[in-house]
Amino acid sequence: MSRLARFWMVVQLAFRNLYSAKGKNILVGFLMLFGTCLVVLGTSLLDSIEHSMAKSITASVAGHLQVYDKNARDDLALFGSGFMGQSDIGVIADFDRVKKALSQVPNVKAVVPMGTNMAEFYSSTLLDRTIESLRQALSAGQAQKAQAIAAKIRAMATMMEGEFNNRLQVLKNQSEVEKQLSDIRRVKSAAFWQDLETQPDRVIEFLDTRLAPLVDENDGYFMRYLGTDLQLFAQNFETFEMVHGQMIPPGRRGLLVNQKFYDDVVRNRVARVMAYLHQKLIENGETIADDPLLQNIVDRLVRQYRRITFQLQPDDARMLAKQLQAYLPGAQGPIEELVQEFLRVTDDNFQDRHRFFFANIAPKIRLYLFDIGDVVTIRSYTKSGYLKSVNVKVYGSFSFKGLEKSDLAGAFNLMDIITFRDLYGMMTQEKRAELQKIQAQIGLADIAADQAENALFGETDQPGEAVRANAQGFDEFADIDLKATTDNGKSLHDTTYDQADIDQGMALHAAIVLEDPTQLVASQRAIEQAIDQHQLGLQVVDWQTASGMVGQMVTLVRVILYVAILIIFLVALVIINNTMVMATMERSVEIGTIRAIGGQRAFVLTLFLIETLLLGTAAGFLGAGLGAGLVSYFGQVGIPAAHDVLVLLFSGPRLYPSFGLGNLIAGASVILGVSVLATFYPALIATRIQPVVAM
Amino acid sequence: MENIVELKQVVKEYPLGKLTVRALSDINLTIEKGEFTVIAGPSGSGKTTLLNMVGCVDTPSSGSVTVRGQRIEQLGDRARTQLRLAELGFIFQTFNLIPDLTAAQNVEFPLLLQGTLTKKERQRRVAELFELVDLTPQIKQRPNELSGGQRQRVAIARALVTQPGIVLADEPTANLDSVTGLNIIDLMKDLNQKRQTTFIFSTHDQRVMQHAQRVIQIVDGCLSEGAPAS
Ligand SMILES: Nc1ncnc2c1ncn2[C@@H]1O[C@H](COP(=O)(O)OP(=O)(O)O)[C@@H](O)[C@H]1O
Ligand SMILES: [Mg+2]
Repeated sequence: MSRLARFWMVVQLAFRNLYSAKGKNILVGFLMLFGTCLVVLGTSLLDSIEHSMAKSITASVAGHLQVYDKNARDDLALFGSGFMGQSDIGVIADFDRVKKALSQVPNVKAVVPMGTNMAEFYSSTLLDRTIESLRQALSAGQAQKAQAIAAKIRAMATMMEGEFNNRLQVLKNQSEVEKQLSDIRRVKSAAFWQDLETQPDRVIEFLDTRLAPLVDENDGYFMRYLGTDLQLFAQNFETFEMVHGQMIPPGRRGLLVNQKFYDDVVRNRVARVMAYLHQKLIENGETIADDPLLQNIVDRLVRQYRRITFQLQPDDARMLAKQLQAYLPGAQGPIEELVQEFLRVTDDNFQDRHRFFFANIAPKIRLYLFDIGDVVTIRSYTKSGYLKSVNVKVYGSFSFKGLEKSDLAGAFNLMDIITFRDLYGMMTQEKRAELQKIQAQIGLADIAADQAENALFGETDQPGEAVRANAQGFDEFADIDLKATTDNGKSLHDTTYDQADIDQGMALHAAIVLEDPTQLVASQRAIEQAIDQHQLGLQVVDWQTASGMVGQMVTLVRVILYVAILIIFLVALVIINNTMVMATMERSVEIGTIRAIGGQRAFVLTLFLIETLLLGTAAGFLGAGLGAGLVSYFGQVGIPAAHDVLVLLFSGPRLYPSFGLGNLIAGASVILGVSVLATFYPALIATRIQPVVAM
Repeated sequence: MENIVELKQVVKEYPLGKLTVRALSDINLTIEKGEFTVIAGPSGSGKTTLLNMVGCVDTPSSGSVTVRGQRIEQLGDRARTQLRLAELGFIFQTFNLIPDLTAAQNVEFPLLLQGTLTKKERQRRVAELFELVDLTPQIKQRPNELSGGQRQRVAIARALVTQPGIVLADEPTANLDSVTGLNIIDLMKDLNQKRQTTFIFSTHDQRVMQHAQRVIQIVDGCLSEGAPAS
């Protein structure tokens, strides 16, 4: 009975002490409140980010787990490791065995073969296509048509001449440009075209090899692609959705371009910048005048005029020149200058120029380097360092739902794994057999692996030599060619494959999609066991590890948050400690009196602890409430993803965070821990106060 | 009579820089149960130091202090605290009431520390003491709402509530006007006679000394017993 009464007495004393030292306790309480709020808010945000990131990463390309070569030199980093260059994650030589073994592990829904790589891609330019139509007209014996096309090419050469004359004035290596100019002038000359009927091959060859390369619209576009079992991929990665075109039919080779990549990289740069400026100026209401960054973009836009002029058919160029002269009062000069003048947009004229651009210029040029349905040439270095090209049809564009604006997720283009293997330069069993046959034929039993591969694939950085490989009798590569040819009778992209072809080959890594993602840890262990049991020589990592930098970033942010919280609490600890020590000193007579009239040290300690716990609990409740309130508020309005990486982390343009009991408990326990720690020293001092001080 | 307090050759020295200050030198003193003793002496003579010895809040540098048969210099902090709670009542010069508690709560406080009485018993005991110090109307008030004399009477009630064998009071009237101070002394003497409680208090006030049954003079840490000045 009296024990309880004594306790209530202590609580009452504690309450009164708290009240009578209001100033100190408001300060200390506010620190605690702020700290708790921060813990609840911070951990809730991080948990929400982790949750949404889990969704965006697992449901886009990673799956829940990833397996890859156990002895890989580098770690698997799906979204890049942050270091330049390609990482070496080894090879899963026999995917079939892996798929069969791991599919039997409980909770595994799908094992999706994958391989990521970078490649340069090329599409034909207007000049390429015009030369191609000339070739066709000639071989079909359509002399009149050929003449008309020839006139077009000459007009194009005239435009190029103007351009290269300009270059002559700004570039250092003038002899190079002069050589190019003389080639252009040769095409411009009537003499050049006199050979058209007598020696069409020579004319075409000159155009192909000397003139076409001068149109440098296609200088080094890189794409990152993921080769996979496309049907299996589409079934198992929920956020995958087609945007334009069609899904690659089963058994077909092809490329699905990411809509984000398509709009950002493949789209004509002038059109892209126009669209970007429209969003900034018209939709967001920003102004060029106030923003040096936009100013810079406009300056660079003007210099992009060739992206228009090089694309214009001569008739269209003349027509556009007239339109621009009418549109831009007082503007004179050749089309190049008119376009440059047109592109010099300001806050005042932008809206109208944007309209003019899409009404009058866009229809005359190619808005994208390639269209959906086109065949593009993809060139990549194989594992052994040889350049290898394939032509693939772009069946359609897709996006990862929620991640439409993420550059990281948007960088992934999808490709069938058969083509991926071709580009990767990995032998299928079929080819291995073929190779052995050659080895037997030419009597080289111990031909070096790289050489054999070279012999087999004919990889080289010279397109001409690539074709020479065909002479060795590998039909599959007969059509490998750096020029995209849509009408090539028997093209690689027309060949088909079946499920066995997909499975019985290599992959670089494989995604494992689980039935129940909450059992991830257990499944990871089960898969490890299966790997050991079947001696697959693989390692299995969770999606967060597999995602590389991005996955680690959340860990990094978590560490930063924890460090920040730690620092805030250390500061709070010091402040609380100091104020409490001071308050204790002020109360030393009271404490001495309590000790003199018979209060034990333990009683004084209890008094202090209860005081702190009361304050901590009150501040903790308020802080947790405030934190939870803030999270709820953000959960309503959403936190915009200001940076691209955030889009991926937020799994969309905005994060709608929520909190769980765990966050509140974390906040409460941290604050109580800090309170007790902060009280410890002053309480110790208090217990040391001698009763003599009261006398 | 029972020797309730016994000091033998008690020396208390305080370090003061490199020097030591001898506050008590070779004190021999015996106090019997029921005595009403005044320790008289000028400021700095060692009154408080002596009371601290008897009150078990401090230990001697040498010699022995026996309170209720216990050698306090041999006790640990817990045991001395327990002894204070069980056997001693304290009245302070500055009253030392706990400002956050009401007068009644202040008086109840030692009973709660003892934890032996039920709530009813405690309430009865507290009421009885307020009756005794004639402060029943102020029972619910806080220390800062009371006058100095009233506060000291609450302090006396607190000192007596556990029915201690000895009540110590270090200059209990020093912060009171002379009339109030004499009233307080009268009250203490009254309680001493009614309850046979041993009172030991210090003062340097001549008029206060007159009320004592026994006066112990202390000068520079040395005792000299003398009859109450008349
Ligand atoms: N804690 C202490 N440290 C040093 N000297 C002290 C201490 N307490 C008391 N003294 C000294 O001991 C002597 C007696 O002091 P005290 O017992 O307080 O005298 P009184 O109560 O009669 O005024 C004085 O000289 C005083 O300065
Ligand atoms: Mg004194």
